[in-house]
Amino acid sequence: MLDLAITLFTLAFLALGFRKPFLWVLAFLYIDTLSPQKISYSLLASMSISLVAFVLAFMGWLLLDDKRDSRFTMRQGIIAVLLVYSGLTTMFADFPVEAAEKWSWVWKALVFAIFLPLTLRTRLRIEAAALVLVLSVGTIIINGGIKTVGGGGGYGTLRLLLDTNFGLYEGSIISAVSIAVIPLIVWLMKHGTIFKPDWRVKLFGIALIFACALIPIGTQARTGLLCLGFLGVLSLRTVKRRFLYLGVMAALVAVAIPFLPESFAKRMDTIENHKADQSASTRVAVWMWTLDYVKDHPLGGGFDAYRSNKLKVELVTVTGEGNNTSKDVVEVEEKSRAYHSSYFEMLGEQGWPGLFLWLWLLVSGLWQMEKIRSRWKNRTGPGETWQAPLANALQQSLLVYMLGGAFVGIAFQPFCYMLIGLQCGLWSYLKRIDSQVVQRRFEKPALRVGNAVAAP
Amino acid sequence: MIDYFSLALTHALLAIACWRLLQRDDLDSEQEQDEPHA
Repeated sequence: MLDLAITLFTLAFLALGFRKPFLWVLAFLYIDTLSPQKISYSLLASMSISLVAFVLAFMGWLLLDDKRDSRFTMRQGIIAVLLVYSGLTTMFADFPVEAAEKWSWVWKALVFAIFLPLTLRTRLRIEAAALVLVLSVGTIIINGGIKTVGGGGGYGTLRLLLDTNFGLYEGSIISAVSIAVIPLIVWLMKHGTIFKPDWRVKLFGIALIFACALIPIGTQARTGLLCLGFLGVLSLRTVKRRFLYLGVMAALVAVAIPFLPESFAKRMDTIENHKADQSASTRVAVWMWTLDYVKDHPLGGGFDAYRSNKLKVELVTVTGEGNNTSKDVVEVEEKSRAYHSSYFEMLGEQGWPGLFLWLWLLVSGLWQMEKIRSRWKNRTGPGETWQAPLANALQQSLLVYMLGGAFVGIAFQPFCYMLIGLQCGLWSYLKRIDSQVVQRRFEKPALRVGNAVAAP
Repeated sequence: MIDYFSLALTHALLAIACWRLLQRDDLDSEQEQDEPHA
């Protein structure tokens, strides 16, 4: 039954593309985020639906879409170089089989990030892409949120629709991503035109944000909690009444703490006392190993190069208090430990050039969003108020992602590249719109009355 | 049950969103408009 419903939905989504080809782009966003082919095993799994959607989206744009307004921007160029570079490292990888497997989904995410901005030619398209992204991730988040409230949480035990740790369904990854989508949800609640702001949108949005905040608790992934705190601080920049905001946040935290499960509090305690925690100590050891590794392999070892690591991790446990404190040091050996950090993942797999390209991509995104924000934030005309908040939201999302990425290997997660694609799309769209507005103001100032057409 | 609920909710919203997008001409072109609308 579920199989059939998901399959029919996905096929219907693709069928709508024949009316408006841009819906194929949205369908790919949906498929690559939610992976319906993993939910509906029997039907969709037999065809590579993700590739079908990708080809349809690309062909739809190539053959049917208006390309006059499509622009290729510098950041798409950076992604293209990263794509070629990681293709090369895959060919010379330490672990060719594993590297080829990772490459099989990475290339699609990168190519789509180059392609997506070319299709985002109108404001509605940008909004639609953000909406589909939020609703697709939202499916996993609502699911996890309700289960967390119902007591189904626990580190590595919260079951999110699937039994596997595939893509976004992995606990630490979804806990970072669920916080990163919050700014986009807020923007859609305030500036949406597909679902215009009313009480239903508000209710759904608030419930969804609440579910997002529950994911780090449900998955007990410490990264998510750090991200949530970080987003709280970032929001201080834009909230109108700062003291009220701070008061409400403090009250919420105070109310929430008694409701947290004990296991959660214990796990979060290890953020402070990380030496006694094997997963945190292993992380540091892997990072050190990576730094050593790139001394010999400055160009990276290809995807999954971490598999060759062998680590000795010292665990320090402190028992007792005051003068009676005793320290136990246990040495544990670990091997083939994943990077647990996007920065080290990039460094180990793609070497210094890869890390440089990736950081350039991220930092230029922050800079572009800042620029849009400052250019549009004081405009109050009709149709001129959504731009700065969207740039701000995309900047916050990326910053949260970058913090989460410090502790989770998500450098090639398609979600990251969808955010970047949205940023590139917004950047080139506004660049074009802005020059048109300026030109029009210059040419016929008397005619420039606010005659924007309202959305139907 | 929770799985069904979360899938049904977001997929219903996705379906409505797609349906609304099909009705809107400004999805593909903003030529008619003097400025991007809100």
